[in-house]
Amino acid sequence: MAWLRAALLLWLLPLGGSHAVAEGQAVLLVAHADVTTQRLTRDTTRAIFAMRQRTWPDGQAARVFVLPNDNPVHERFVKERLAVYPHQLQLAWDRMVFSGTGQAPDRVRDQAEMRERIATTPGAMGYLEREYLDERIQVISMD
Amino acid sequence: MSVSKSFRWIDGPAALIFLATLALPAGQASAEEGVLDTLQMHGFLSQALVITDDNNFFGPSSEGNGSLKYTEIGANASIRPHENVLLAAQILSRRAGGDGEDAAPSLDYGLIDYQMISNQQRTLGIQVGRFKNPFGFYNQTRDVAFTRPSILLPQSIYFDRTRSLGLSGDGLSLYYEEMVPSGTLRTQIGIGQAQAGDDLRRTMRLEDAPGDLEPRDSAIAQIKYEHDGGRIVAALSAATAKAKFESHAPTLNDGDFEFVPWVLSLQYNAEHWSLTGEYAIRSSRLEGFDNPFLNFDVTGESWYIQYARRFNDNWQWLVRYDSLTSNRDDRDGQAFEASGAGPAHSQFADDITLGLQWSVNPRLMLAAEYHHVDGTGWLPIQDNPAPSETERRWNMLLFQLSLRF
Repeated sequence: MAWLRAALLLWLLPLGGSHAVAEGQAVLLVAHADVTTQRLTRDTTRAIFAMRQRTWPDGQAARVFVLPNDNPVHERFVKERLAVYPHQLQLAWDRMVFSGTGQAPDRVRDQAEMRERIATTPGAMGYLEREYLDERIQVISMD
Repeated sequence: MSVSKSFRWIDGPAALIFLATLALPAGQASAEEGVLDTLQMHGFLSQALVITDDNNFFGPSSEGNGSLKYTEIGANASIRPHENVLLAAQILSRRAGGDGEDAAPSLDYGLIDYQMISNQQRTLGIQVGRFKNPFGFYNQTRDVAFTRPSILLPQSIYFDRTRSLGLSGDGLSLYYEEMVPSGTLRTQIGIGQAQAGDDLRRTMRLEDAPGDLEPRDSAIAQIKYEHDGGRIVAALSAATAKAKFESHAPTLNDGDFEFVPWVLSLQYNAEHWSLTGEYAIRSSRLEGFDNPFLNFDVTGESWYIQYARRFNDNWQWLVRYDSLTSNRDDRDGQAFEASGAGPAHSQFADDITLGLQWSVNPRLMLAAEYHHVDGTGWLPIQDNPAPSETERRWNMLLFQLSLRF
């Protein structure tokens, strides 16, 4: 029995480990330094990422940046922080872009490009893992 | 006729918005770099192969190797000259059977959108120009394959016979979105002139009658509730669209056409599957003609239920049952046939659909679909000019390749 318990433990350990890492690295909501808003509700964040709400709460135009749909960071941000699924978000964008009711977000290739675009675009909103932050980027807290 | 109509629309006032959209960035580029940054251009292209055993759908699909006459091409541009203003326009070329001139590009939408209120609680905006009618879940983007769950939308509701009348309006549309604690409530009301195309003349059986079919004022309204980020979506849509037939022959007087559809839509979305159902009831009335055989007043009914499941990240399969009744007072079409107007099976259609979609990459989608249909209620008239020669039970296979940028 002992060998079985040991085998099970060995088999489960890496699973538990990687799970802990994935959860530990929360994807942060970030913005350009000139944005005056410091807190957003999840509903408002979702409305802005869905491109339905076009401005920050203070009226400044929002510019939304996203990673490709199949990027794991995009997937985690959308599912864990916005509580929707990437394919739902894509459909919402397509419906707006092809009916004249809105625009698509700006796509970036990776987090390094995300950081550069957020840092240099007034009103920009996006998301990054903590290790990609620098002093030009503002973290927005989400209720 | 289609060509001249298309170009007339392109010359029309709504087209000015499209031109403005294209011209604006050039004019303001030096003034404000940020505005140019908001310019976006998108497009799509879909080509289908339609194969039927009996009856024709979108071209001569029952002959030889099937029909390739189902093509959709669109391109749009949008820009935000101010944080509250959006300019957007789209050109669409669509062929669904018929001859090549049906594919002449036309203005699909061209509008100025101004949001008077936009905050965390609510959004209030107005669209002026040619706007797409929010009708049911799919009408606004019915020609864009990437927004459809299947190659063909459920034909009992999204059929081609009165397509032009419900597609868009030239006028203004107000929308209001309110965030409630459990979700989002969105209301839209549009008033404008509908479009009356050749499809409508055929449906009214006036294609050979000398005269013009002129669109009149139409109105559309939709109220939609999205619960918990879109997990549950419910919508109610209603419209009234009118057109007047102005006769050019002394033996035929003028007639008025009115089309009043209602649609109730429900959807449940889980991570890997969606369950969707819509129910529609619509009254169509043509009146005013001295010849009583030309007038009609019928109420039709449609509904479908659809289950779609995603798998392996980029794949989706779908199963759907879709039912159309042309006239609620004559569900099996027996009275229609007895009157000598045509076969009973032209008054209904029950369609069982199996579909498969594969998003090869974000720009390319491949799809295949099988339909088993009992009835010819939504079969395009232009593909089957002699109703008596149609078969009641028929099968259809479709393949489609779609690209977007």
